[in-house]
Amino acid sequence: MTDPLVILDPTDERAAIGRRLATRPDQLQGTLGIVDIAKPRGDVFLDEIERLIRGRLPALDVIRLKKPTYTKPSPTSLRDEVGERCQAVIQALAD
Amino acid sequence: MSDLPGPGAMAPTFSLTTPAGAPVVFGDESTISTLLVFFKHDCATCDLTLPLVQRLQSALATAGLHVVGISQDGADDTASVVTRHSLTFTVALDDHLEVSADYGFDAVPALILTGPDRAILASFEGFTRTDLRNLTEAAATACGTKPPDLVHDADGLPEHRPGCGSKAHDPDVARRLAVRRGASTLGARRVQVPIDDDPFEFMSSQGLDDGLPVVPPTEARVLRMLEGTRRAASDIVAHIPPNLAPATVEKIAVNAVMAGCRPEYLPVVITATEAACTDEFNLHGVLATTYFVAPVIVVNGPIRRTIELNCGHNLFGQGFRANATIGRALQLVVRNIGGGKPGGVDMSTLGQPGKFTCCVGELEEVSCWEPLHVERGFAADTSAVTVFAGEAPRAIRDQLSRTAPSLGASMGMCLQTMAHPKLAHVGEALLVVCPEHLRIFERDGYTKADLRARIQEATARPLRELLPDADCQKGMALRAVPPALLGPDGRPTADGLDTPLSKFQQDSDILVMVAGGTAGKFSAFLGGWANGAAGSMAVTREVQT
Repeated sequence: MTDPLVILDPTDERAAIGRRLATRPDQLQGTLGIVDIAKPRGDVFLDEIERLIRGRLPALDVIRLKKPTYTKPSPTSLRDEVGERCQAVIQALAD
Repeated sequence: MSDLPGPGAMAPTFSLTTPAGAPVVFGDESTISTLLVFFKHDCATCDLTLPLVQRLQSALATAGLHVVGISQDGADDTASVVTRHSLTFTVALDDHLEVSADYGFDAVPALILTGPDRAILASFEGFTRTDLRNLTEAAATACGTKPPDLVHDADGLPEHRPGCGSKAHDPDVARRLAVRRGASTLGARRVQVPIDDDPFEFMSSQGLDDGLPVVPPTEARVLRMLEGTRRAASDIVAHIPPNLAPATVEKIAVNAVMAGCRPEYLPVVITATEAACTDEFNLHGVLATTYFVAPVIVVNGPIRRTIELNCGHNLFGQGFRANATIGRALQLVVRNIGGGKPGGVDMSTLGQPGKFTCCVGELEEVSCWEPLHVERGFAADTSAVTVFAGEAPRAIRDQLSRTAPSLGASMGMCLQTMAHPKLAHVGEALLVVCPEHLRIFERDGYTKADLRARIQEATARPLRELLPDADCQKGMALRAVPPALLGPDGRPTADGLDTPLSKFQQDSDILVMVAGGTAGKFSAFLGGWANGAAGSMAVTREVQT
């Protein structure tokens, strides 16, 4: 009988991490972060979102944040800032 | 160098069988003294020594000496030795040569005398009268008797005779032993392919390939691949995006095996991985962009010839193993270690064939110019890898230009179309100058700097022609226009609209290399991706073997 073929795992061997979506808030309160990923014209879309939200939820604190570039992952400092300052976040892709 | 243990060391235990299948165990049982004799059938020094061992056995067996012969051959050859020398002591078969390897000797015969607790009293390999005499005296002392006179004048024996190489050191055997014994340092998880499965189909079903069959990365193949580098298998070379997973030399070797690389290619694959995982190259972005680009690997220096990397005809084409497999290995590293797969993080709209593999060498030997790596700060005799985020090659067809300025203008006009004719300052380009075109530049004394300047000149267009207009809504975005050409309202000034802009923000954005077949006035360029720090910049690294 032939021995079974044994190969070496070419992957990083880290089991896929299932990431659950964060719980969605029932209502917006506290600070809402609007994050621009720095794609061209994304600011046009987010400006309009901000205008609509401020009109409907005047008590909400809205802050604008921006990635340095859409071509790279968010820097840790930006992720930390979102985590520390915001109760909810809107991040949008545009082209 | 021999690692045969000497007096005072502990002899390794073993469990073997005789040719008839009877167990031969060397462990903790109490014998007064044991003599182990390793031999092989086609060794003249073994033929000289074994009769003397037989005499020793005859002389001291009753006093407590236990002799075990250990053959490095199969049953038939072993039987012929036993018959030839009328051996009466136990002979075991070291089928897999694992015991031979454990004892570390280089040559047979190898003799090891132990006391009751497996402590070694004497040992030697090959044949010398002095060593045999000392071993005989040690055996007699251990057995509480006088040493027998083993060597007779009539034997006509030499003072010494070197032994024959141990089979455990045959290259194939040594590699197989490393695998069998798990003595290798390989740390990757072992995956057993189900016995009824085709290994190629199995690997494909696990999502480990790039759409073409991959070579199964067995332990033996990976060990052989690792012989291509002096770096430790456990060294971490880089963290591979998108998952930023650590890539050890071993994991890169596994993927290099799958890609079809030979061991001597491994240093290039490792260097390309290092270079691609720098912040400047921005492999995460290169992978994630919806644009076309793939890592294009350009190799310079002596290693091109060592690995027979194609720098000539059909440069970007098929038929050359080093070119085909090195680029593929980098892509498999990204896919399997980094987790970057098409449809996942790799969201390229159309991709390009170079995303299977793209690795080329510069034809330095025909060039009158400094090679790419020398321009980028490395010595000419250094081997270096440059990674460039490139589109597929595009033609520069000019069979009519006979002067350098004309040919430079031709190249500029073709480069104008990179990404879009109305886009300037969009990033780097890799210009591949073919040998026939090079001769024209050489004849006119054109340097690379002259060529770059000519391209910038030939591509210069007034800003107004580059802006979006009614005829074509595509054009240079205002945010990309140099601020000096804009007024306080953020719109171009009248002078600004008339100001010519060249295709490239700076001359150095045009990377120039020489390569290709000797016939044909066909050069090529590969467009880059986004400009500057937000995009990807070519990175060059020295190849460390």
